[in-house]
Formats: sequence, C-alpha cells, structure tokens
Amino acid sequence: MNSDLAAAIVELRRDEVLAEIKSRMAGGQDPLRTLEECRQGMATVGERFQKGDYFLAELMLSAEIFKEAMTIIQPHLAKSRPTKPLAKVVLATLKGDIHNLGKDIMATLLEAHGFEVHDLGVDVPPSLVLAKVREIKPQFVGFSALITTAFPYMREAAEMMREAGIRQEIKLMIGGGVTTAMTKECVGADFQTTDAMEGVAYCLNEMEGRKR
Amino acid sequence: MRGETMTSTERTWAATRLEKTDRVPVVPFLSPEPAAHLAGMTMAQASNDAKIAAMAFFKVFDDCGGWDCAYGGPITPVQSQAANIYPMKMRIPGKDLPDDYVFQLLEEEVMKPEDYEKLCEMGADAFYYEDYLWRIASFRPDELQTHLWETLTNWGSYTEELKKRKIEPFLAAHELHPFFRLSLMRSMIPFTKDIYYNPAPVERAMKKMTAELIPKQIGVCKAFGMKSWLFVDERASGVNYPLSVFERFWWPYTQEIVDAFWSEGITTIFHLDTCWNKNLPYFRKLPKGSAVVGLDSTTNIFLAKEILRDHLCIYGDVPASLLSLGKPEEVTAYCRKLIDEVGKGGGFILGTGCATPPNCISENFKAMVATGKSYELGNN
Repeated sequence: MNSDLAAAIVELRRDEVLAEIKSRMAGGQDPLRTLEECRQGMATVGERFQKGDYFLAELMLSAEIFKEAMTIIQPHLAKSRPTKPLAKVVLATLKGDIHNLGKDIMATLLEAHGFEVHDLGVDVPPSLVLAKVREIKPQFVGFSALITTAFPYMREAAEMMREAGIRQEIKLMIGGGVTTAMTKECVGADFQTTDAMEGVAYCLNEMEGRKR
Repeated sequence: MRGETMTSTERTWAATRLEKTDRVPVVPFLSPEPAAHLAGMTMAQASNDAKIAAMAFFKVFDDCGGWDCAYGGPITPVQSQAANIYPMKMRIPGKDLPDDYVFQLLEEEVMKPEDYEKLCEMGADAFYYEDYLWRIASFRPDELQTHLWETLTNWGSYTEELKKRKIEPFLAAHELHPFFRLSLMRSMIPFTKDIYYNPAPVERAMKKMTAELIPKQIGVCKAFGMKSWLFVDERASGVNYPLSVFERFWWPYTQEIVDAFWSEGITTIFHLDTCWNKNLPYFRKLPKGSAVVGLDSTTNIFLAKEILRDHLCIYGDVPASLLSLGKPEEVTAYCRKLIDEVGKGGGFILGTGCATPPNCISENFKAMVATGKSYELGNN
C-alpha cells in the first residue's frame, strides 16, 4: 500500500476518503490513478481478511466506501480513456430464493477488485442466466443461495450451459451459508465458498493463472 | 440390543443438564414449510394456516415413529410478525410468492438512525407495536389481536397433541438477541456502519432492549410452565465481526440475559447460525448447564465439543445440504459420527443444522431420526 488514500480506505476513514477524492476530481487529477489507489486499499483489506485480521464487517464497510468513491470518480472516468475490466462476472440468486445480501456483497467486492459485474438479481430462472452468459461471454458465473431450494436450479443452470456447449468457457462458482462441498459436486460447480472474499480471491487467482 | 430406559422428556432435559442418558435425544427443528413439504402439502398451505402447519408437523412426527421433543411449532409467518418474532418485511407463499416457495424475509433498512432514540424513549415493545410493525406488517392493524389470539389458541391445541404423544415442546418463549434484532431492523450494512461510526445510540438501545427482554420472556416461560427458551443470533459471530465488537456489543448482554434466566431455573437454548468457532471459548463463562448451544453446521461442532465438554450441552448439526442432497446412508453415517464424537460423555442433542431444509428428502429425515433413536441401543 503506497498512498494515504489507500490507507484511509483500509482504516475505514470514510469521510476522509470521500473528501480527498472530491478534492482530486475538482482539481482535475487523473481519475484512473485515484481509482487504482482505491483498489490498492481494497486489495489490502482483502489481504487482511484472508489473514484473519479483518472480518466481514470491514469488508462490507470498505466496499461501501469504495462504492461511494466510485460515484464521484465515475463521471470523470467516462471522460477519460476507458478502463478494461479484469474479467466479466455474472451473478445471480436463482429461482426460489429472493435473498440478496450475500450476492450484493460479492458484487461490490468484485467491482472493487476490477471485475465487471452483471448482477441479474434474485429469483432468477436458469434460462435467463444462459441468455446473459451467451450475450456477454463472462469468464465467471456465480450463484448465491441462502436456502436449499435454489440448489436444483443451480444444477439446471449448469446443465443448460453444458448443453449449450459453453460450460467449459466459464468458471462456475456457488456460495452462501447453506452451500457445501456436496452442493458443489451436485451442481457440478468449479468452486464453492461461504466467504465472499474467498470467492474474489478465486477469481483473481484464476485470472492470474490465465496470464501465465 | 438394549431398550430405552428413559422417557423422551427425561432424556432431553438430562442431556441439557449434562447427565447420562440411555441414548442421545433426537430433536429436529421442523418449521411449518419443511413439515408441509415432508407431509406432501404445499408451503403455501402451511404458511397461511397454522392448523394445517400443525397437521403437517404431526404427520411427519407420526410417520417417523416420533422423536423426543418438539422444536418448531405451528405458527404462520404473519403470526410470527404479530408476535414480534420476525421484525422484517416478508414474502409469503400463496400471497406474494408461488405456492411451492418457502416464506422469506427481506433485507431492507426499515429502522432509521433516528429510531434508536425513539426506541429508547418508547420502549422496545411499544416502538414495535405502535410504530415499527406498521412499516413492515403483512396484515392490517385491526387484524393484530386476531393473529395474536389465534397464535395463543393454536399453541394450546398444539401442546395438547404433543401430550398425547408423550413429548413436550423444546421452548415456548422465542427471542432474537438485541444485536441480531437491530441488525435485521436496520439491515446488516447500515447496522454495521452504526456500530463502527456511531455506536452510542446502538448501545443505549441494546441496554433498553435487554432490560425489557429479561422480565418479559421470563414471564412468558413461567406463564407456559416452560423451563427453556430460544435465543437466536445469526450475525454476531467471529466470521462477521471482530472479537472487539463481540465483546462490546454481544457478550455482556448475553451473559446478563442467560444469568437472569438461569437464576429462575430456565435454560437458554441458543440458535446460532454462521461460524462461531472464534467465539466458543466465551460460552464457557456461562454457568455450567445453563444453556444449550445450537449450531448450524458452519461452526465446527467437533471443536465446540472440545471447548464446551462437560460445561454446556450442544445441539446440532445435520447440515441442510446433506438433508436436501445426500443419501440416507450418508445421513446415517454423519449422525453416527456426531453421536460417537459430540455425544461422547453426554451433553448432546441430535438435531438439524439450523432447521430442516424446505426441500429435505423424506428418507434422509427419517434416517436422521432413526439413527438417533437406535444407534446407541444397538438396533442399527
């Protein structure tokens, strides 16, 4: 971590972060550089979480600060050169389940780490997932669940992608408190977690692996 | 092969007191929707009619040849809201959702920051019934008394049916931890912001809620002649919050509450979802035998046994995913492992991780109950 702005994000100093970004944007500073510093802060939060020094609370709060920061930076980014996302991710809570908290946290953390997230919302039919995957060709698809009734639809969505011949082109992640290794096996997913940051780390590692 | 030497009631309460039992007590948490699914009814039927929910519960109970104590009574989502159990907006199958959906709660910031002071001024119960409820209610104000009355009368007929089957309810009083209640009312992210950026109103509200909760719920236990009550938290665990937050906002209130109930001879049954591995050592500070620690399978129940051995009874934790996706022999194997390792030396109640899932496979549910009832007696 090499900036005061990144450090302020890590230490959850919300007001300070937002004031600094407003001042920089008003002063015409490079929005991309500011965005990069914010991402550095988020990366450090992620590292601390993985070491056990930070908890979901700090992940959520830093992600909230990042979201607010982005609303200030975004209009300036639009005027600047376009940024290329690290990868595209489609997220959904599938049919039968209308809970959104876990998915929303995952979406914010992924965006904060440079991913382009397409959030399909809750109670999503598998056919809609397939259509979105065909449309945007993501590298990752993630399903979140709080209740077990979503499991058959996870399997159905995976099966539809397999039948469409696109399953091998994406990494399929599942997450949520009720998911286990058994759920992963049943769905035929590539990755399962009950921990949003672990999911982000999985995506980062996969992208790192593709570079090598 | 041995026979049973204790009644269901003797067995269950002996386990909570860490005494030796003839076999592990079996107490699955079976709420109306999974009961309806297992009984071949729709979720909508059980979610909208407590009598149907009761019928579903007893059908499953009788089909399995019974178990030791009833956990999860026939109460509809609307009645739960009326009884101040679920302080959230809800979506109900048959009304807001298709008939085969499980009823669900909406994570939404309904309580606003200024409501902390309002809650403190009015009192927690008055704030709920005179203000907050009408921001979330799935019923009209003139229907409140009817829902409350029906809840009470259903409870009466439910316990009569339990008596015929020679078992007792696991609990009558049911309360959310003040921390969890505020997190649901504010929703998780705004509540976390409150804790980190403006903690004083949270603490004032929690003190007020704790002071109200103790006499109210002890009164309910006494009125129903119950020696246990359910205390729920699904958010304060060491995976969500650092121990500094737990020590300031959760543990002191918990200790005060459990001590108050224990001084009246009432056992606290914790329903703790998410992973509490880091928090488990704190529970040893509670009086021996004063509580049952219910775990949902994300906490390591085997670690819990190591830490709480001979101090508190442990409840759990057949995973929802295993019950909804696994095979009966896998359920049996897991239950045997629980009985062998967590049940060793007593102080264990075999039950579901959190609750029976809404798409539980019937054979798996039966395998869980049958294994608990027969394994230690050498009958399977």
